[in-house]
Amino acid sequence: MNRFPKPDFESGYVYPQQQFVIPNEVLWSYIDIAVLVFLMGFVTWALIKKQIRWPVVLTSVVSIFYFGFFRNGCVCGIGAVQNVVLTLVSDSYSIPLYLLLLFTLPLVFAIFFGRVFCAGVCPFGALQELVNVKNWKISKSVSTVLGVFPWVYLGFAVLFAVTNSRFIICRFDPFVWIFRFGGELPLILFGVLLLIFSVFTGRPFCRFICPYGAILSLFSKISFRQVKITKKECINCSLCHNACPVDAIYPPYQNKVNEIRSKGVHRILRYVVFMPLMVAAGVTIMYMLSDKISRVNNDVRLYDMAMGNETNHSNVLSLELEAFWGREQTLEELAVRVEEVQKGFRIWSIIIGAFFGLVIALKLIHLSTKRGRKVYDISSAECVGCGRCFSYCPQNQKKIS
Amino acid sequence: MKKTISRNIAIVSAIFMLTFSVMLITNYFQVSCTNTAHPELIENLKQANEELGNNPQLQEQIRELDLMARRAYFVSLYRLKTGAAILLFMAMVFVVSLRLYFANSKNIPNKEVDPIDDWMIKSKARKWMVLAAGGVVVGGFVFALLSSPYIKSFEEGKETSLEDVLVETIDIEEVVVDKVIIDEIAIDKAPEESPVAVAVEVPKTTHSGFRGNNSLGISAAKNMPTSWNLSTGTNILWKVNIPRKGHNSPVIHGNKLFFSGADDDARELFCYELSSGKELWRTAAKNISGSPSKMPDVIDDTGLAAPTVATNGKQVCAIFSTGDVICADMEGKQLWAKNIGVPDIHYGYASSLLIYNNLLIIQYDTQNKPRVIALDVATGNQRWEKERPEKSPSWSSPILAPVNNKPQLILIGNPGISSYNPDTGAPYWRVACLSGEPAPGAAYVNGIVFGAAEYATMVAINALDGSILWKNSDILPEIASPVACNDFVFIATTYGVVATFEAQTGKLIKTMEFSTEFDSSPIVADGKIYLICTDGKVFIFSAKGDFTLLNSFETGEKTFATPAFTDKKIVVKSEKVIYCVGEKD
Repeated sequence: MNRFPKPDFESGYVYPQQQFVIPNEVLWSYIDIAVLVFLMGFVTWALIKKQIRWPVVLTSVVSIFYFGFFRNGCVCGIGAVQNVVLTLVSDSYSIPLYLLLLFTLPLVFAIFFGRVFCAGVCPFGALQELVNVKNWKISKSVSTVLGVFPWVYLGFAVLFAVTNSRFIICRFDPFVWIFRFGGELPLILFGVLLLIFSVFTGRPFCRFICPYGAILSLFSKISFRQVKITKKECINCSLCHNACPVDAIYPPYQNKVNEIRSKGVHRILRYVVFMPLMVAAGVTIMYMLSDKISRVNNDVRLYDMAMGNETNHSNVLSLELEAFWGREQTLEELAVRVEEVQKGFRIWSIIIGAFFGLVIALKLIHLSTKRGRKVYDISSAECVGCGRCFSYCPQNQKKIS
Repeated sequence: MKKTISRNIAIVSAIFMLTFSVMLITNYFQVSCTNTAHPELIENLKQANEELGNNPQLQEQIRELDLMARRAYFVSLYRLKTGAAILLFMAMVFVVSLRLYFANSKNIPNKEVDPIDDWMIKSKARKWMVLAAGGVVVGGFVFALLSSPYIKSFEEGKETSLEDVLVETIDIEEVVVDKVIIDEIAIDKAPEESPVAVAVEVPKTTHSGFRGNNSLGISAAKNMPTSWNLSTGTNILWKVNIPRKGHNSPVIHGNKLFFSGADDDARELFCYELSSGKELWRTAAKNISGSPSKMPDVIDDTGLAAPTVATNGKQVCAIFSTGDVICADMEGKQLWAKNIGVPDIHYGYASSLLIYNNLLIIQYDTQNKPRVIALDVATGNQRWEKERPEKSPSWSSPILAPVNNKPQLILIGNPGISSYNPDTGAPYWRVACLSGEPAPGAAYVNGIVFGAAEYATMVAINALDGSILWKNSDILPEIASPVACNDFVFIATTYGVVATFEAQTGKLIKTMEFSTEFDSSPIVADGKIYLICTDGKVFIFSAKGDFTLLNSFETGEKTFATPAFTDKKIVVKSEKVIYCVGEKD
């Protein structure tokens, strides 16, 4: 941040003692939780009970203004993932209850009612929902592959959080600048790009980037009560299929490709057999790259800078090096810390690499399974609960009329 | 009608947003790039104000400019924030109007981007997935392999450990050594002596520089006395006053003893007869081009002649805190003299000289340009010079470590312990691990280099690849250099603690505490460790087993220099006198 130094000359002016009003954060955290629960309940009522969309739009507007502009888009369940994993591995960090609730409540709702948090309670989802005008489809095969990215992002977010290096989800938040009226230019450009995409296709951030959405999709998959397009009988008109901005509605299964059953079984078995190999590949690559990846850590980067300066001695030191030498720390102390950090990176890279391999293998196995469908059906893992499909369904129209 | 209005509003708001975005981005860069906190003009005026001795009018002008700069900055910031708010509002207008425009148009079924068959979609997705995952795996492997230090080390033909990543490693060049000077340099033939000296036995064991040959702190001398008394004269062969002040240590070659001294009047190199303590000759550093007319500011603890002289049996060289280097032959004929630049170093210059073959090695870790210089010892011509990437000066002295029968020049600086090829100055490796103000020289034994500095650490380094073997920060020397021999390393501190560590592991073997201070470095000779404290008390330890204190006795002379050893004799240089210890015939 660009700060002015205090004026240099003594003119008799006495600086007033700085006084800060302590914000009542505890109260606001209770209000946040209450608003979160209320909005999720409201959306649940609309999606599950009434099958109407307007409460979702209303919730989106409220969420953008409250969680977005008023609360500055921080903290949120998406970023809280990192706090939770850091708490699990660190003795020195404990997550506040408020933050834990922000993380767990949407998951609890997801287990019971699907991704109602994504519907419009999440300010990022709400933002994309409100700007979405057209619904241009992306090829399902492409979106399936892109759908793996949130897991990869989640893996790296966990890796950097547990090594106490960086909260990348917060650092590379593409929308928070809107709520704060400013930010870094690359992130602003990235956010603008995402919003432009959001105008023409549904929720690109939620589908292809959001790591919390990936976790919610798992819980939503096994939810007790899921969003239904209509409570009446599906007449297979396919209107809802075209309405869904996130392509979460699957048509009745028509197996035009006659594949021998044994071939499909063999394919699945092959993926199961190769699963350890994929896990091993993930482990190996991540382990080999762990030292490179560890440069995300400030200490490692500082050490590299210091060593670089030792090699190519420069009298003009960077701010980081000036601060380092100013603290009278030794390179040896730093080297010890760096060694510790890199050791942590090596261990966690192995775990995350295994996770990556497992995700790919399970995705391939999932893509090798056949599931019979006689009517249009919502994939509750992918459905973000926007409620657009309700008004498209002629069966629901009849009800309204 | 409504639709048309919505469309037009959307178009107008879109155009407005685009134009406004360009303006905002321009403003953003203007605000970011302009360092309004420190405008150049204000800085220049401040400098002028200082030079003029706080001119009130100028100060008022600076205040006004400063205020103007602050206003300009905050106005720009305000504009940026307001602009962002307007842009956001227009974005909302755009989205709302666009939504209104498409309000009644449903997404009706049109051309499917995917095949109708679900199984085909899955098959396609599988194919993409395998391709993408395969691409990432292959790319990841290639990147990991290309950037792996293992590959680099394979290319270099040696294994690399984690330490290699931490340590700047440089290819070890093929070293061709004419002869490796270790431990003992036998004098093939006795040097020419004066007729008086013919009768005396000429010692064959040399002590050619600070802490002996190669500055390793190990002497091959044998049968030295283990007690002496300056008051009674027991085992004192001779004692003379020091002609000129200097904290440097004595050096022995044959029957000649060398040391230097300097004060405001002169800077001199002395040669004494070892057998008698008689001055043979002296030569002064004078009329040297570049030599300062005024002596540099040094503290008394360092003085103007702290560096120890060095000899190879043909020439003897000395350096002073003025940067003057002089060299004479064994008869006192000055061969050359030059000034290598007045060292910019607080406390005063203290690094001792080292002679390797025909090269005079000078560690010149000054503030402005740390470097190591090699001069031709016969002519004074520069053979090589290497700048050293050290961040502050050091007072340490170079050593020559015979690693696998190939000599390595080891230098200690802040923060690096470095190894060089003494023939060419090519760096072998460097470990940045120290801090503060290093004064002790390095120690070496069995392929391990030891370096230490007070308030930093003691570190053991594999001399082959520069990898760190162990570190210990519990007991650290400030001035006295460590000595390593067989399987131990021995240190003496300024707070009176002496400690012995296992050379391979760094495990502490023994510590002993004395109420004194050690500036003089320990020397291992004839199975014993000789150490003298600043008060002049001598400590002799066993150099094996449990490092028992064999004897300790007072000399009554303040001693900062490290004694020189030759067969049956020890030369001790105290603050005021220099004396030779040996059994009288």
